[in-house]
Amino acid sequence: MAKDMNNKVLSVNNLHVSFDTYAGEVQAVRGVTFDLHQGEVLAIVGESGCGKSVTAQTIMKLNPMPPARIPEGEVTLGDVDIVKATEKEMQKLRGKEVSMIFQDPMTCLNPTKKVGKQIVEAIVHHTHMNRADAKAEAIKCLSQVNIPNPEERAQQYPHEFSGGMRQRAMIAMALSCNPKVLIADEPTTALDVTIQAQIMDLLAEIKEQVNTAIILITHDLGVVASMADRVAVMYAGKIVETGTCEDIFYRNAHPYTRALLKSLPSVDAEKKDRLVSIAGSPPDLLDPPKGCGFAARCARCMHICREEQPPEFTIGEGHTASCWLLHPDCPSGEERGEKDV
Amino acid sequence: MSDKKQEVLLSLNDVCKYFKVSGGTLKAVDHVTFDIHKGETMGLVGESGCGKSTLGRVTMGIYSPTSGKLTYKGEELDLRKKKSRFSYAKKAQIIFQDPYASLDPRMTVSSIIQEGMEIHKMYDEKRRKERVYELLEMVGLNREHANRFPHEFSGGQRQRIGIARALAIEPEFIVCDEPISALDVSIQSQVINLLHDLQEKLGLTYLFIAHDLNIVKYISDRIAVMYLGNVVELASSDELYKNTLHPYSQALLSAVPIPDPSAEAQKKRIIISGDVPSPINTPKGCNFAGRCPRACDKCKESKPVLQEIVPGHFVACHLVEPQK
Repeated sequence: MAKDMNNKVLSVNNLHVSFDTYAGEVQAVRGVTFDLHQGEVLAIVGESGCGKSVTAQTIMKLNPMPPARIPEGEVTLGDVDIVKATEKEMQKLRGKEVSMIFQDPMTCLNPTKKVGKQIVEAIVHHTHMNRADAKAEAIKCLSQVNIPNPEERAQQYPHEFSGGMRQRAMIAMALSCNPKVLIADEPTTALDVTIQAQIMDLLAEIKEQVNTAIILITHDLGVVASMADRVAVMYAGKIVETGTCEDIFYRNAHPYTRALLKSLPSVDAEKKDRLVSIAGSPPDLLDPPKGCGFAARCARCMHICREEQPPEFTIGEGHTASCWLLHPDCPSGEERGEKDV
Repeated sequence: MSDKKQEVLLSLNDVCKYFKVSGGTLKAVDHVTFDIHKGETMGLVGESGCGKSTLGRVTMGIYSPTSGKLTYKGEELDLRKKKSRFSYAKKAQIIFQDPYASLDPRMTVSSIIQEGMEIHKMYDEKRRKERVYELLEMVGLNREHANRFPHEFSGGQRQRIGIARALAIEPEFIVCDEPISALDVSIQSQVINLLHDLQEKLGLTYLFIAHDLNIVKYISDRIAVMYLGNVVELASSDELYKNTLHPYSQALLSAVPIPDPSAEAQKKRIIISGDVPSPINTPKGCNFAGRCPRACDKCKESKPVLQEIVPGHFVACHLVEPQK
């Protein structure tokens, strides 16, 4: 099934998330806005500490509060505002409407319970099925994610599964109640490339079959290129550029997106060519910069970049970027005396 | 450059490293033979558990091989003797994967870098201090960093400290055991560029272990692909990517996602089913036979040996015949 752009399943509006620590308030997410439509894969890319996982966890409300706080913003899932929802309401949503798969499947499965039982637990919690039916359903889920001998495997403990199998079991569990939104937080980072290819294949298959919307959180741009419909690039707690996969890879406008793509060795790169690296490291979100978060590392930084946060500029349909260089009054590269643009 | 590369620095001859575990013998490295030339970067790729880190540790003397010979500059190394291990450590150093676990949190950067020089009784105390400053500047840090502790640094900076420590005793050969896989993309390229510059400046030889094939292709002159303790294919990096011959290498290379959506859409991905089998009590035939899409009866019966198919391109597979 093709993605349906009219059928919005999740919308995040101006979300801010802060953590109160002894050192002060860490502003992990500083105004994130995006929509997710049925059957689409939205990839959120960024380096560690850019707030991509915090955004995802806030959608599930998995961050302990305190220390986490949501000073402003809305997260609307169906007709529920998650920011205002109580824990009891959240328990009804988690697993049923939105579910999540994590990076490290071993720490997310209960090592003392059989895999089948853990899936049955989720099904019984959300539906009125009896245990026998739920068990049959769990085995169906396991076979859906291509686990051989699902009946036998359901009776085993997580330690008897290999890394790839555990990730499959996690996906089976996440999909057991047909959620509208599946959040995959670095689902393949802990896996080997050949297993990663298997899991990515499986996620693509599931997207076709169940029409679930997927938020794919990753730092691997290769994974993004092979799976995503739309991409949001995050840096220092903000989305700096969003667009379709082609927009981001071929028509990108933000200097950070460009630098990120250039820092990867291309397929036909010669050894003599140096990789373009981004000097410095991301800003400290305890004391976020007044202007653009990327200003300190940006090769094309202007005076205004340090003073004021850039607004969002629309480049094409569904393609936006937050950078002062895109302002209509911005002087051209030559006028600013840049050598190489 | 080309004639320099022909000089063999380290040569591995039929090296095995077995571990006794409950339930049998774990053959982490099984009959591996290859040469590392002076001044080159030898890439070593494979999935987790294939023995690439163990092989890296054998080549630098952390583990002594169960059987087989290591020859360094024509001299045989007997790494069971403490004395020869000590003198070999002066020439071979290692950079570890995890920059958080590989630096002692209770030592200052200066003492971390100096430790090797002290052990090998290099220079006097004053000169050692100066060397620390030189090394810090060489890897892109400041001399002010010398008295700080590792927790005050980011991952990329810690990896630079690890590199400075490895360079301190002026080694000739450095084993880079996944030096960038714990780092972010934009920091990875900084470290890769640094390793590349240092190689040119100091004439180092690297054994570069990684599972990120795009990076390995970029940095390496030659690449060895490992599967379950065996080297299954070895060729120059261009040759390996253009003319991939072993079915496992083909699957491995096709599984790597390319950061380019249109190339991704066109690419045919070979998905091999199943997982890497346990290296304990491996099968009689080819280790890859159980997952290989092209396996035949012969593959299950006998182990293929690494043979030269085209000059400089070695493959261990029954299905690949030498081209004449």
